[in-house]
Amino acid sequence: MKVGKIIKVSGPLVVAEGMDEANVYDVVQVSENKLIGEIIEMRGDKASIQVYEETTGIGPGDPVYTTGEPLSVELGPGLIEAMFDGIQRPLDPLRAIAGDFLSKGVEVHSLDREKKWYFTPTKKVGDRVEAGDVIGTVQETPVVLHKIMVPYGVAGEIIDIKEGEFTVVDTICTLKGGKELQMMQKWPVRKGRGYKRKLNPTVPLLTGQRVVDTFFPVSKGGTAAIPGPFGSGKTVIQHQLAKWADSEIVVYVGCGERGNEMTDVLMEFPEIIDPNTGESLMKRTVLIANTSNMPVAAREASIYTGITLAEYYRDMGYSVAIMADSTSRWAEALREMSGRLEEMPGDEGYPAYLASRAADFYERAGKVVCYGSDDREGAITIIGAVSPPGGDISEPVSQATLRIVKVFWGLDYALSYRRHFPAINWLNSYSLYQPSIDKWMDENIDPEFSANRAKAMSLLQDESELQEIVRLVGRDSLSEEDQLKLEATKSIREDFLQQNAFHDVDTFCSLAKQNLMLKLVLEFYDQGLKALKQGVYIKELEKLPVRDKIARAKYIPEENIDEIKEIQTELIEEIDKLISKGGILDA
Amino acid sequence: MICMFKIAVVGDKDSILAFKALGVDVFTVCDSEEARRTVDTIARNNYGIIFITEQIASLIPDTIERYDNEIIPAVILIPSNQGTLNIGMKRINENVEKAVGSNIL
Repeated sequence: MKVGKIIKVSGPLVVAEGMDEANVYDVVQVSENKLIGEIIEMRGDKASIQVYEETTGIGPGDPVYTTGEPLSVELGPGLIEAMFDGIQRPLDPLRAIAGDFLSKGVEVHSLDREKKWYFTPTKKVGDRVEAGDVIGTVQETPVVLHKIMVPYGVAGEIIDIKEGEFTVVDTICTLKGGKELQMMQKWPVRKGRGYKRKLNPTVPLLTGQRVVDTFFPVSKGGTAAIPGPFGSGKTVIQHQLAKWADSEIVVYVGCGERGNEMTDVLMEFPEIIDPNTGESLMKRTVLIANTSNMPVAAREASIYTGITLAEYYRDMGYSVAIMADSTSRWAEALREMSGRLEEMPGDEGYPAYLASRAADFYERAGKVVCYGSDDREGAITIIGAVSPPGGDISEPVSQATLRIVKVFWGLDYALSYRRHFPAINWLNSYSLYQPSIDKWMDENIDPEFSANRAKAMSLLQDESELQEIVRLVGRDSLSEEDQLKLEATKSIREDFLQQNAFHDVDTFCSLAKQNLMLKLVLEFYDQGLKALKQGVYIKELEKLPVRDKIARAKYIPEENIDEIKEIQTELIEEIDKLISKGGILDA
Repeated sequence: MICMFKIAVVGDKDSILAFKALGVDVFTVCDSEEARRTVDTIARNNYGIIFITEQIASLIPDTIERYDNEIIPAVILIPSNQGTLNIGMKRINENVEKAVGSNIL
């Protein structure tokens, strides 16, 4: 192919002429160092290239080689437990070659070409297969059974299929007509992988976080955004969801955030045991890291790389959760490139196409029927953190995100300042999946679950109104019923919503436990109301010894959750005692 | 319709029995528990003023405090046949101070 020549370099943006044979979104190799770049704009024979590596030392006159292929990822066994950069270069092998920091032009295959995987065929010679059909499996980790699928656009009759140890590039299956299949396939990251049809997501993604599961659930196949100012706990929530969400695969994209946050993941995840599988969490996790000091153009690609890997596992019929922390850094990368391209800026300098790019990304979530003759169902849940400067969500990235996602977990600086974690504000957050998930909860957990949730929520809303009165005229001027309401909502906030991510027991809370805890804190309100009517004083209710036990209910281990019911019985007994002692006469 | 409130007196029998002569409802109590139940009950039964002897009131401060912020009933402390404990007068002084800003009594 024709070799282009650089005429301009501006940070990660390189303009080359003589590129008339190339197409937009082709991957190119820039200079003799073979830096990887991607064409993002073409004018005549001039191509604007975003370079995914450091461009120091490159100047006009250097050559540009076109590969003629779009930016693609390699899909096959070996993805799980690995850590990649934004364009799917494996970081461990890179470090072995080039040291702790990325250096220029190092070329490493995304998937290990030497490692052998044991391939077990599930189809036999003579079977007809279509695109998406599973021809065999590889036990990738103890938890993940990797299904080898027929790539898109391929179909035919199997004339040869082998069992045994193979590398990802060995031929394992041959179709009539000579088409050879390997375990590895390639896919361009900017194109969503296809599916037969989309389904309505109705099953919740259980995260073990009380405020999320009970109040603002996200469904498997849904989209959620976590906007919040600095220090309000976005990353901790993302980590908690990555740890405890009951999806089968987790893709964690660290996009433009601090390097030590990825270190935390690397240090913590292998040690934590997944309650659903009994194996280390790392055995189901793929990490994509483009930390703040890594090349900015690759940041733009990292979330596409992440979602493509997620789609690949979805196609196997798994439920996948992808966490992107943070999409604001991704948008800033878009802005930087857009500025260098001299495009007309939109709001706050972000490119005018910010909203459509964000929508492209979030729309790749969903619960779908995958390709293949067995009609298996897979789901991708996207959870994106947004870091609005100053916590003001009226800025373009938050707004573009909120237009698309259906769950909004608004983090509140005031709450985190009060050490209320997770600092999800219960008054302005919402989940549009609530109606369908309420139904699921009532059918699967407790028929009263959604009613209890609605009751707790309305109490919390009443509280915010009462708090305004309290601020004006003081708490004593409230009626006893209202004072009880304040006590009850304090209990909901502190004993139910607050959850300690760093406590061994409290870090994960099953739905059964959530249900019992919610009932317990509401029981206090119901019983208290009854007692007040019978002449018991609010002060006596506040001093009930059982309230300490209610506050500590969250630390009861999952295997003893029946103790919560005992506390509830104790509460009723103590209140009955108060009524018999101080109740009014029947006269 | 004009709303008619009743008047009650709570205390030990010797101190308050004479109030009966004025047509006031008399409730005799002996201990704090009984006093509390009585006051709470009559407070809900359309009594506008509850006189209570200081001796009994000193046993149930929580109950007295409870009606401080309510317009009806007015709980008023009176001395008993054993003399005064001065808490009734003190409360009046406090209320006057709250109302006018200085103790004018």
